[in-house]
Amino acid sequence: MILLDIKNLTLEIESQSGWIKALDKINLVITEGQIHALVGESGSGKSIIVKAIVGAISDRWRITADRMTWRGQDLLKMSVRERRKIIRSDISVIFQNPKSSLDPIVTLGNQLKEVILATNLEKGMFWNRAKQRKKYASELLHRVGIKHHEAYMRSLPHQIPNDICQKFMIAMALASQPKLIIADDPTRGMEITDKSQILKLLTRVNQVRKLSILFVSHDLLAISSMADHMTVLYCGQTVESGRMNQLRRRALHPYTKALLESAPSFRTDLPPKSPLSSLGGTIPTFQHLPIGCRLGPRCPRARRECVKVPEVRRIHEHTYSCHFPLHRDQK
Amino acid sequence: MNDLLSVENLTFENCHGKRWQHKEKRFTLGPVNFSIQAGETLAIVGANGSGKSLLAKLLVGLERPDSGSIYLNERKLEQYDNKHRVLNIRMVFQNSNESLNPGITLGSILEEPLKLNTNLDGRARIIKVEETLRLVGLLPEHRFFYRHMLSDGQKQRVALARAIILNPQVIVADEPFAALDPSVRSQTVNLLMELQRELGLGFIFISHNLGIVRHISDKILVMKHGKVVESGKTEVIFHWPKDEYTKRLVHAHQALINGQD
Ligand SMILES: Nc1ncnc2c1ncn2[C@@H]1O[C@H](COP(=O)(O)OP(=O)(O)OP(=O)(O)O)[C@@H](O)[C@H]1O
Ligand code: SF4
Ligand SMILES: [Mg+2]
Repeated sequence: MILLDIKNLTLEIESQSGWIKALDKINLVITEGQIHALVGESGSGKSIIVKAIVGAISDRWRITADRMTWRGQDLLKMSVRERRKIIRSDISVIFQNPKSSLDPIVTLGNQLKEVILATNLEKGMFWNRAKQRKKYASELLHRVGIKHHEAYMRSLPHQIPNDICQKFMIAMALASQPKLIIADDPTRGMEITDKSQILKLLTRVNQVRKLSILFVSHDLLAISSMADHMTVLYCGQTVESGRMNQLRRRALHPYTKALLESAPSFRTDLPPKSPLSSLGGTIPTFQHLPIGCRLGPRCPRARRECVKVPEVRRIHEHTYSCHFPLHRDQK
Repeated sequence: MNDLLSVENLTFENCHGKRWQHKEKRFTLGPVNFSIQAGETLAIVGANGSGKSLLAKLLVGLERPDSGSIYLNERKLEQYDNKHRVLNIRMVFQNSNESLNPGITLGSILEEPLKLNTNLDGRARIIKVEETLRLVGLLPEHRFFYRHMLSDGQKQRVALARAIILNPQVIVADEPFAALDPSVRSQTVNLLMELQRELGLGFIFISHNLGIVRHISDKILVMKHGKVVESGKTEVIFHWPKDEYTKRLVHAHQALINGQD
């Protein structure tokens, strides 16, 4: 079943030099039970997409889409209140910096209990509520693998290590029993053993609870170890999307290929200290976005046609937007 | 060949801070021993809070060790000799956002070390600034930008530019690649390797990214709770980790590469 279906989402932000398309016809489809990676470099618009999904966008931004539905319901036609209600019960978001998204002066235990909705508790007399909340809270913490949770419940966010904090965020995200968890760069800056614990935890909640995860990151190693689908963004445009193994085996878009090749861990044939393959140039600033395919100035395959935005093309589940995709060479 | 930088029995004890608490939390670092030659790269890996950043600060002279010595080109670095050290061992900080002054342009930020440490005139400084900006993959016009106008990756490049602008012999970098995006990261890695080859730059960096550590470092120092638990040649450590903690790191990394299922 399709949970989230976004077609041609465009979001414009006003700047000194006029309206800029921060997102340019983004497509994203997430089905039930999927771990979907949203990959893109800094500033490519990942967090803005997350904001657009949960409706946390400024009034001054112009947002349009051909389609934006959550389990068949049109999110764009809904009132803010209706939308909030759906988001609150169905979607949980984990942000990239756990410490700054937690309240610094409230104990972790109280913050966790606060997000446990009354509907998540068994029916019972109201005087049992506090006890039930506490029980449910410790269950959640147990589920995310936090030991000694009593002590942590009494702590403030800054008193505990980062990875425990992130586990707390995940526990809070699970509290409302959502259908989709959006994790915006949850392992940024983590040491590898902590990171792999968080990834395993997310994989486990996905498998055990059939929960979908939108995993936002540019950590390709983390992504490829857990995600089954991947959507690649470049400068606010979706360049390619499909099954993870398909993209890894045969990327069609030059950017996806460059991205995959930039991670030395994927390349078993790479001699130590040899130059890593990389695209020249830098990510353009938002004030100087190239017209047409935004990869143009950095793309080794670019030709004159590329000043027009390429249409989305599809081969089965695999979609890409490029005038001269990599499989064309073989013909 | 002579060592470019060597460190002998370096220790540091943190006895400031939480004395009023019952449990006096003392952090002791070291003893640390290592050496690198010109053009070599040493990676420091370890958990958060294991003292990696502290070690980096000791190397560049931002903190004073309690005992032990540091030698540059076989010459002992003395505290009074800070200028010599500042010119030759440069640091790139972990959080480049905080280390860049928000109120002045990047051009001025980069000019500062030139003003303090060289005799270049205004024009020559600007040329050097533009050249260095280009070296790190930015544009000459970034000179007129302010900190808030840059992405995280671009800020990291500015920090790197500031470190290399004085042509140092050793660069110490705290998580230099963490904030960088994949396509920009491989450029920066290439850039560093190139600078090393050309200038014989010694490079010491802290990183969680074991893929890059393995690719570019010659030696590794594994730290845990302030102690060096293992050190040696990179390939040896990746193939035959001895210490428990190192084994966990290497296995976690391998598991990510092979996929969890
Ligand atoms: N409130 C805002 N006003 C104006 N521009 C914004 C605003 N928020 C984001 N942008 C711009 O939109 C672009 C996309 O930002 P976004 O935060 O989505 O990037 P991201 O892909 O999440 O990057 P990162 O990996 O660094 O988190 C950036 O160029 C940013 O400068
Ligand atoms: S459309 Fe052109 S510029 Fe864009 S990725 Fe394809 S070949 Fe490169
Ligand atoms: Mg973001």
